[in-house]
Amino acid sequence: MPTATKTPLDEGAGRRQRLRVLDAATVGAVESVIPSVAPPASLPGPNDAESLEWLRCLRAEGTRDEAIARLHALLLRAARFEVARRGATFPHLRGNELDDIANEAADDALMSVLRRLDDFRGASRFTTWVYKFALLEAAAKVRKRAWQGREVPLEPESWRLFSSTGLEPDAEAEQHELLATLQSAIADVLTPHQRSVLVALALNGVPIDVLAERLDTNRGALYKTLHDARRKLRKHLEERGLALDDRLEDR
Amino acid sequence: MERPDLKNTLGRLLGPSQPEIGCDACFEELDRYVELELAGKDADAAVPGLRAHLEGCPACREEHDSLRAFVAADRPR
Repeated sequence: MPTATKTPLDEGAGRRQRLRVLDAATVGAVESVIPSVAPPASLPGPNDAESLEWLRCLRAEGTRDEAIARLHALLLRAARFEVARRGATFPHLRGNELDDIANEAADDALMSVLRRLDDFRGASRFTTWVYKFALLEAAAKVRKRAWQGREVPLEPESWRLFSSTGLEPDAEAEQHELLATLQSAIADVLTPHQRSVLVALALNGVPIDVLAERLDTNRGALYKTLHDARRKLRKHLEERGLALDDRLEDR
Repeated sequence: MERPDLKNTLGRLLGPSQPEIGCDACFEELDRYVELELAGKDADAAVPGLRAHLEGCPACREEHDSLRAFVAADRPR
């Protein structure tokens, strides 16, 4: 049930308006994306006083600039948290690169939040709602930076991933049948696009937003393709009497 | 070569068995879901299909884990 509203998941970094620092010109730029409609008198959901105050300050002429600056600081804190969390996985990313990523993520998140201010329904605290924009932007940017300049493999890098050793003979025979059936299903049952997406995401470990950028599509559309491919494979295996539950539980 | 983890490989290839929502819907509901989780409420009943999506989508799972950790640290309960 994706909404018609454009989400950060749809937006390519290259198409974004970039805000590097929150100076006077920047504040003017972000104001232009704030919806000009009046806030609803009462919003559905458990709106708390702090959230309503955020909305009031971001919409009122006299408090808007200061509220935007405070919002940017919140987003930057969340982005730095995420970059520090993910950066440890990518030791080749240096500290100054990571801080640049956090700043870019906070800037992009600010634009998204201000553009979508009217979408906030009070289903969570306002701060929780805005944090998710910063965390998503930062996580996606770290993944993209880590894969910058790397080839995105769309074919299986090695079917050895499917092999396993040290099993009892019966288990090994059973596993061999399952893996052979799965391997042939990936080759024969899926469309070429489904196969490329499944192999890249599920077998070769390419992050979904990296693949979306390379294929000039978006994350939601890619996941739908992955989902359809997985359904086909499950159906194919089940039709051949290959039970999956025991093998997949306790993952 | 280290013995590969068959369950993980199968899990990545075949995805969750339960019905799941997509990435866009996951993003829309993530803040509400995390607050319900942190409040000890039944987040899965409130947002059906999100937990299954987190099992199937590593990127959304990372973002869920980060939002939960950040909000928990930001507002200790």
